[in-house]
Parts: sequence; C-alpha cells; structure tokens
Amino acid sequence: MKERAVETRSSMPEARLSAVPVRLENVTKRFGSFAAVDNVTLVIPAGKLVTLLGPSGCGKTTTLRMIAGLEHPTGGRIWIGDEDVTALPASNRSVTMVFQSYALFPHLTVHENVAYGLRIAKLPETEIARQVAGVLELVGLPQVGRRYPAQLSGGQQQRVALARALVMKPKVLLFDEPLSNLDAKLRKRVRAEIRELQQRLGITSIYVTHDQAEALALSDVIVVMNLGRVEQIGAPTDLYRKPASRFVADFIGEANLLTGTYREGQVTVGPFTFPFRQESVAAGPVTVLARPEAVTVQTDGAGLPGKIRTAFFMGMTNEYLIETPAGELTATEPIRARGLLSMGTEVRLQFDDTGLYLLSESTESPASTGSSESAP
Amino acid sequence: MARALTVPIARASPNITLIVWGGLTLLGTLLLSWARIGRDLFAFVPGSIGLQLLRESPVMSGITAVAALVVLTGALQRPESQRGRIALWLGAAGCALSVFYLVSSGQPFGPAAIVAALGFLAIMGTGLALSGTLRTDAFLATSILWVGAFVLAFILFPLWAVLKASVVVKGQLSLAAVTSVLKSPAFFLLNNPASSRNEAAIAAALGLVTAAVVGIVWLAHRRGWRALRAAAVAGVGIWVLAALYLGFGALRNSVLLAIVVGVVATALGFVFALLSERSNLRTRSLLGPLSILPIITPPFVLGLALIYMFGRRGFVTNGLLGLSTGIFFGPLGVAIAQILAYAPIAYLVLQGVVQAMDAAMEEAAETLGASRWHILRTVIWPLARPGIANAFLLVAIESLADFGNPIIVGGGVPFLATEVFFAIIGRFNPSEAAVYGVVLLAMTLSIFLVQRYWIGRRFYVTVTGKPSGAQHRPLPPALDYAASGVFLAWVVLIVALYGSVFIGSITKLWGFDYALTLQHIKALSPTGWQVFWTTARLSAYAAIPSTILGFLIGYLVTRVEFPGKSALEFGSMLSFAVPGTVMGIGYILAFNQGALLLTGTSLILVLAFVFRNMPVGIRSGIAAILQIDRSLEEASTMLRANSPTTLRRIVMPLARAALLSGLVFAFVRAMTAVSQVIFLITPAHNLATTQILSYVEYGSLGRGAALASLLTLFMIAVILALYAVNRRFDTRTVGKTLMT
Ligand SMILES: Nc1ncnc2c1ncn2[C@@H]1O[C@H](COP(=O)(O)OP(=O)(O)OP(=O)(O)O)[C@@H](O)[C@H]1O
Ligand SMILES: [Mg+2]
Repeated sequence: MKERAVETRSSMPEARLSAVPVRLENVTKRFGSFAAVDNVTLVIPAGKLVTLLGPSGCGKTTTLRMIAGLEHPTGGRIWIGDEDVTALPASNRSVTMVFQSYALFPHLTVHENVAYGLRIAKLPETEIARQVAGVLELVGLPQVGRRYPAQLSGGQQQRVALARALVMKPKVLLFDEPLSNLDAKLRKRVRAEIRELQQRLGITSIYVTHDQAEALALSDVIVVMNLGRVEQIGAPTDLYRKPASRFVADFIGEANLLTGTYREGQVTVGPFTFPFRQESVAAGPVTVLARPEAVTVQTDGAGLPGKIRTAFFMGMTNEYLIETPAGELTATEPIRARGLLSMGTEVRLQFDDTGLYLLSESTESPASTGSSESAP
Repeated sequence: MARALTVPIARASPNITLIVWGGLTLLGTLLLSWARIGRDLFAFVPGSIGLQLLRESPVMSGITAVAALVVLTGALQRPESQRGRIALWLGAAGCALSVFYLVSSGQPFGPAAIVAALGFLAIMGTGLALSGTLRTDAFLATSILWVGAFVLAFILFPLWAVLKASVVVKGQLSLAAVTSVLKSPAFFLLNNPASSRNEAAIAAALGLVTAAVVGIVWLAHRRGWRALRAAAVAGVGIWVLAALYLGFGALRNSVLLAIVVGVVATALGFVFALLSERSNLRTRSLLGPLSILPIITPPFVLGLALIYMFGRRGFVTNGLLGLSTGIFFGPLGVAIAQILAYAPIAYLVLQGVVQAMDAAMEEAAETLGASRWHILRTVIWPLARPGIANAFLLVAIESLADFGNPIIVGGGVPFLATEVFFAIIGRFNPSEAAVYGVVLLAMTLSIFLVQRYWIGRRFYVTVTGKPSGAQHRPLPPALDYAASGVFLAWVVLIVALYGSVFIGSITKLWGFDYALTLQHIKALSPTGWQVFWTTARLSAYAAIPSTILGFLIGYLVTRVEFPGKSALEFGSMLSFAVPGTVMGIGYILAFNQGALLLTGTSLILVLAFVFRNMPVGIRSGIAAILQIDRSLEEASTMLRANSPTTLRRIVMPLARAALLSGLVFAFVRAMTAVSQVIFLITPAHNLATTQILSYVEYGSLGRGAALASLLTLFMIAVILALYAVNRRFDTRTVGKTLMT
C-alpha cells in the first residue's frame, strides 16, 4: 500500500506550503454551570500532529468540536492561521473531521461519499472523479468506489472516512478517536498509515484519544488534559521523561510513584539513599517517579530492599510486583538467563538515571502551558 | 453605493439571501393583491396591489421602503453581524407595518399579505442568524420563525378566540354566558326537582360514609395521617361518582361515558396485549389488521353499524330476536361504539407494558421464589400502573372529544362535544358554544398534561428500560383460551359491524327488504362522488404541508437549540389534545371577519387538517430523526454543506420511510376527520364524513353506508399501498403513530 501511495503523491497538491497553525486563547465551554473545557490556551503548530490526551470526560472531544465549529465556546477565541474563526459556522472553516463512528453516509456509495464535499463546492464532474480516484488510491482503496459503506470492513470504512476528509484539502484535519472501533492489530497498522500520510502531506492535524500508547506513537506534540484543563504540553519523550505532575506521570506510560527526599544530589527512598542530580527541584520532600524499566532487580548487593509479591512472564519481559518499605512498585526486565524469580524472593532494587524523575511537592497542579507555547 | 461606507471592509461580499428575500417581498408587495373579494385566494383584485396603494396609504409606502432597504442592506459592504442586526430590525418593522396595514384596512387578506408576512419573517430569521443572536443558519432561523408564526396563528389564536368568546358577550366582558351555561340543567343538574329524593344529599351521604369507613380501616392499620388523606380521597371520589351517576346533563353524560369507555377499553386492550405478547394460539395473528381497522375509519362508522345490527329494525334485535328496541340509541350505544373503536388504542399503549412486565415477572419469580400474589402486588402492578393509566387517559380524551358517535347513536342525549355543535348550529349562540368548548378543553387539556408530563415520562422510562429479547413466557392455557375467547368475541362483533355497513350499502332497505341492489352506490353520483373526491383532494393538499411542517418541527426540536423550543414543541403538540369541535369553533370564531376572514374558503379546511394532523408528522419525524446518527449531519456540515443541503441530501433520504408513512397517516386522518371541520364546511366544500352524517340524519342510511364503505375500502387500499412500498412496516407502528 505504501508504494502505491507514494506513486500517487502528485494527485494531492503540496499541502505543506499552506499549512497553518491553530491557536486557542482562554477557551471555555460551559454546559449549564459545569465547565467541560476550562480556560484552555494552546497552539497547534503548522503542519504538526497534536494529540489531545486525557481520561474520559476531560473535555477532549468538546475542545475538538469547538475547533471544528460544531460547538461554540462560552468564552475565549479560536484562530486558524491568522483568521479568528470563533464566530464562523462549521461549514466555513476549511476544517474536516474523521469521526469516531466514521459517519459515512449509508445511502451513498463510497465514491459519492468522498465526492459529497466536492459536489457541494460545485466542482465539475470530471474533476470530482479525478480527485476522488486520486484520494482513494492514496488511502489504498482504489477498487471500492461503487460499494456502499455497509459492504466494507471496519478498517476500510475508516480509510474512506479519512479520504472524504482529505479530499477537501482542509487547512486543519481533526480526528476524534478514529481507531477505537478497530481491533488491536488493525489499530496499530492504521495508526502508522495515518502518521505516514499526515507527515507526507504536512496537514495540521489534531487527534483526540484516551489511549496514551497511541498518543506516544503518533504525535509531534501531546496535550494532556484533565478536568477540562491543560495539564501539560510537550513532545512525547518530554512528557514521558519529565512529566510536570503526578497526574501526567501516572497517565503516560507505567509509573511507580514513591515518596522520598532530595538533598544535594542525593535521593532517599525508604532506607535506601543513592546519588541523583536534578536541577529543577528544590531540596526537601519529593515524589520519585521511577519507570518500571528503570528499576533493576538484583538478588543481592546494595539497593532498596523488597520482596516479590507476584511475578509475570510477559513474553519479551518479566514483570514483578515488589513490596518495599517505600511502597509497592512494578519492575520490568528483559528476560535474562536466570529466568523468572519466584514469589517471595528477597531482592534489592537499583534505579537507572534515565527513567528517574523527581517531582517536588509544589508541582502537583502546575500551570504548565509554558513549555511548548514557543513552538513555531 | 460604496460611497456610503467610510471604511470599506474588504471581505464582506453582498449577502444573496437578504437580497433575494428583500426582492421577493418587494415584488410581492407591489404586484400582488393585498385584499381579496370572496373566497378565491388567488383572484386578482383590481386596485388593491401595492403599486396602486402607494399613493393613498403611507403605511404601504413604509412597507415597500422597508423591503427596498433590505435589498440595499444585502448589497452594501458591511460586516455580517452589523448587517444581521439591521436586517433583524427591518424585518420586524416590516412585519409590524404589514400587520398594521391589514388590521386598519379591515379587508380580507390577499396573496401579497402572505408574501409580505413570510418574507419579512424570513428577513428577521436571516438577521437573527447573521447577527449571531441565534446560533443557527438563516434557513433554520427562518424555519423557527415561520413555524412559530404558524403555531401562533392557527393553533393558539383560535383557542384564544374560544376563550375570549366565552367571556365576551356582545363586546362586553361578562360572565353571563359562563354562569348561564354552568347553571343550565342541560349542562349539569344534580338535584332533580321532579324526583322525590334529594340527589345532592344522597351523594354527599355516600361520600361521607365512604370517607368514614376508609378512615377507620386505615386507622386500624395504624397509618396515622395517611389514613386521613386516604379517607378524604375516597370520600371525594365516591361523592363525585355518585353525583355524576345520580345527576343529569351533558357534563355528567360525557364524564361518565369517558370513565366507562376508558375502563372497559383499557381492560380489553390489556387482554389483547397479553394475547399479542404471550399467546400460543393462532388467533393472535388477527390482532394486527383488525386493530388497525377502527383507527383508519371514522369512529362513527361503528355507530352507524350499530344501528344496522341493533337499532329498531336492526338485523340482530329485530331480524333475529324480533324486538323493536331503542335501547341502543343513547349512552349505551355510544359507549359500545366507542369501546369497540378505542380498545385498539389501549392495546397499542399496553402492548409495551406487557412486554416490560414479562421480564420482570420471570426474574422476580425465579430468583426470589416469592408467591405469585406477592409478585403481582409488588412488581407487576407498580410496573404496569403508569401504562394502564396512560391507556385509560388517552381513551378518555378520545371519548370526550368524539363527536360522530354521540350524534349518530346518541339519541338526542346531550354530550359536551355535541352541545358545542348544537349551540352554534341549532341555537346560534357562539358564546354558549364557547363555554361548552372551554369546559371540554379544560378537561382534555388537563388529562393531556397529566398524561404527558407525569405518567408519560414514567411510562417511557419503564418501557425503554426493558432488556430487549426477553423470553416470553406463555400464558397458562386456561387464561390463554379465556383471553382468546374475549378477543374472538370482539373480532366477531367488529367483522359483523363493518360487514353490515358493506352489506347495507348494497341492500335495498335494511330491516325491511334485504334484496341486493346497486341503487345506493348509483345514488352516490353525482353528489357523493364529488364530495368524496373533494375530500381526497383537500386531504392530499393538507397532507403535504402537515408532513413537511411536522418533520421540520421534529428536526428543530431534536437537533437545534433555540430559546422558546419547549414552547414551540408544546404549542405544536397541543392540537392533539384539543377536541375537534373546540378547534372547529376556534376556527370559525377566529377567521370569521376582518383581515383574517377565511371561512367559506377551502383554504380553511386545508389549514384545519394541517394543524390538526401535524403532531402525527412530528411524531414520525422525531422517531426517524432519532434513529439517524447525529455525526452524519455533522460530517455533512464539515464538508461545507449548509443545513438545507444536509436536510435534503442526508436526513430526508435516510428518513424517507418515516416521511412517507407520515404523509399517508396525515392523509388518512384528514380523510376521516369529522368534528374539526363540521362547522367549516360549505355546500361548495362538503366532505365525505360530514356527508355521511347528513345522509344518516336525513334517513338515507343506504347511501350513508355506501359512502362509508367507499371511504373504508379506500383507506384500506391506501394503507396497503403504503405497506407495499415500505417493507419495514408493522401494524403497531401505524397505530402508534396515528393515535398515541
Ligand atoms: N452537550 C452536553 N451537555 C452537557 N454536558 C456535556 C455535553 N457534552 C459534553 N458534556 C460533558 O462535558 C465533559 C467533557 O465531555 P467530552 O465529550 O469533551 O469528554 P471526552 O474528553 O471527549 O471524553 P471521552 O474520552 O469519554 O470521549 C463531560 O463531563 C461531558 O459529560
Ligand atoms: Mg470524546
């Protein structure tokens, strides 16, 4: 599919040139007295794929729908490029959307579905046919034009929905959990295809998901939301390595959160003290974030003492749940020659610098929009 | 034009919508007639077009100036929000001026007035959308205003006219009409001076005794203050029932009739529902078609049939039993005809209840091991109660509002719905008719409110809360046979009654000479046929706007947020609860003179049909729209479609089946309507139902039967045609859309 897509690249004009940023300024949406989106300010850089990530009900869809124009903000402004679109209806925004349910028109064929927007734009029929054929090839479905949506598989429907959105050459492409109706394997494949297409066409894209793995794999920038507010904005690696709050640390990836203290390049967790330096944190009590893969399990030597509660063989890794004086934590390790340690084994734990991060108590609920607002 | 602007704004281009509406309004105003002579709406009346009126009437100059300004506003380069505000004010000014002109001229309105009203409302709607006051587009904002104006003019205004007529006598505010009606023995009389007993005292005594007994029983169970409440409720209830039973007059007859018909029809409906959900016998397959029949024919056809079978020369009473009895003329006959006609309504409501009950009973019985009686009392009855109340109330509304049966088999006994009629047609007293109408309206409306907002809600929750695909536990055989027996008796009666009408139409003189003849059918020509086709034509005219309006209202109510939405919904559903006779006098009182003169035209008949049957369209529209995933419309919007395009290309094709059924049902209901049009017909526009009534009244039973048979066969054909076109068709949905 990839090869074919590359060949037909010329049928899509270079969108990269016209890519525009999207800006939200203090956007608020209230339903009654309940603020579903609460004073959100963020910038989606031109041509990038930005994910809105957060637990269910945190206001991701509402934010996306306000950008689409399907919902109107109670306060604040929304800019697409240098145009203030806050008061513009959805049909005038040059934005298209791939819906969670795909929203393919069941009474129209695939061709008619994709051509729908072009017909409304009153393009000549020959031009429509050319563009529809081009975009269907682009998404790898050149054969299905005559079929009805009900005659397609879930993955194919998903791609038709994408084609229907792409063919309009939108300034901004929106996705609302587009993969949640697909099975796990297919989800991974379509995810890669979306990413590949988006990067090639360079369309500014906003992608809503509550699946952190999906967000990490897809995004240039992730916006983590919680309770209608932005928790943190940053590149996937930044969010993983340097979360700004317990919430983000916990939400992205697996996290062990231990209480400890920090003093002059020394971290103390329970009875165990080890050297670790982090400039951004003040001396005193801290929350120690240790990713499971950064916890090394040894049967002797120095380290945080603990006892294995449960041990799992996961295929590529072993996973342990370990009881320590500082609390329970999870550790994963590549399978070694020694095999799986048994339950009840006394162990010593060491921490690897790359998967370790300290959160001072004051960073619990940050106003952390700063880090990526400087993005282009 | 650009000179008018100090700072030209680059991006605002001319607004086509405003230019088009402004231009249409201007042209219509200038070139069409504002007044009308006689009944023909589209006749050209010389001297009454805007161009000619300009010189003599400054108001007309104002109207044209406003329309011209709208065109200018559309053409000028202005930011949309500012243009919207200007359009809003211009539209409002145009509406006000047009209304003022019409009222002050006092002549019946002509086509120019219609164009002006719709045009200026559309301009206001466009203004509302452009200025951002309403967060919708021009099309939907205009639809909201138009629909609102229609509901105001053709539902609320006529009802207001009835209220007004009941308290305004000869231009003076007075309660004379109200008191004279309420005191008249024809309305209600409790203490009959001609009888030796004192009815009022008996009723009061019965009430007191009941209250005392209930109070003591409840106190014995140590229920404290609740005993007092129970005693009061029981006492008042018995007192009212006793007073109704002992009393006389239209109020008493109508209420007692409604109660009796409600109880019996609900019980029958419950039995039918049990059969349809849980019977093992074949007879249940008859339920669908036979329960539709009374709904798609005018209810009075059964009354007519009753005369054939049980009248003085009835086939059963006279022919078989040799009796000559008038016992079926009067409340008994009316009650039987109504019970037969309305049991299907109760069945359709209760069928859902029985479905829900089934699952609950099984669960309770099998998991808790409780006794049957206990389950009945604590699970089934509380579950079924709202549905049963719902069925009872719906039937009671129909019974109170029914006009045809009381007039055919009522034998001169007064009922509220017929008193309205006789007050106008017989006693020429509109105030009296209005007072009867208000009493009737107050009763049906309060039942409607209780049904819709109290029971309707709970009922809905119960029914939708049921787990689908629950196992249906069959009825115990004894109960199954008993219930099927009751149903078969009903079937035999229904078949015999409809059959007698069909046979009556080809029998020489029923009761005397049963020789077959085609004379009645031949006698239908020319008048009968002509009337039949007029009815079909007007019903078809009415079906289209009532479907479109109903669908549009359904769409606005389910998909668009705007202030006044619940008022619009309530107003448009209101006409379901208003008895036809009340709507009828509303129309003659409201559209009888001055600028709004419409009586005598066929337009008023069409309007009466449209607004009477619109709720059918609303219901089928809402049901269809709720089945369409909302994101389909949003996807269409995001692909740059405006709302009319989305409606036309996405919503309407997906709701096609529902639209078609809505259309057919609106047609069927218009064809079979009686009460709301009986005051509105003229010799030139007589309708099939009223023609049947007048045949019967003048003793041509045969011709009445012939026309009724024709009507019934035609309705069956129409429904079958719908069945052929709409595959996914269910007799229950037909009935539900039509009635509940
Ligand atoms: N039309 C509405 N009326 C009232 N409340 C609403 C409405 N739409 C959304 N909400 C509320 O706003 C909050 C945010 O909703 P939203 O759909 O944006 O969540 P989400 O982050 O997309 O969640 P999910 O991952 O479950 O899709 C929720 O609490 C929801 O109940
Ligand atoms: Mg969501």
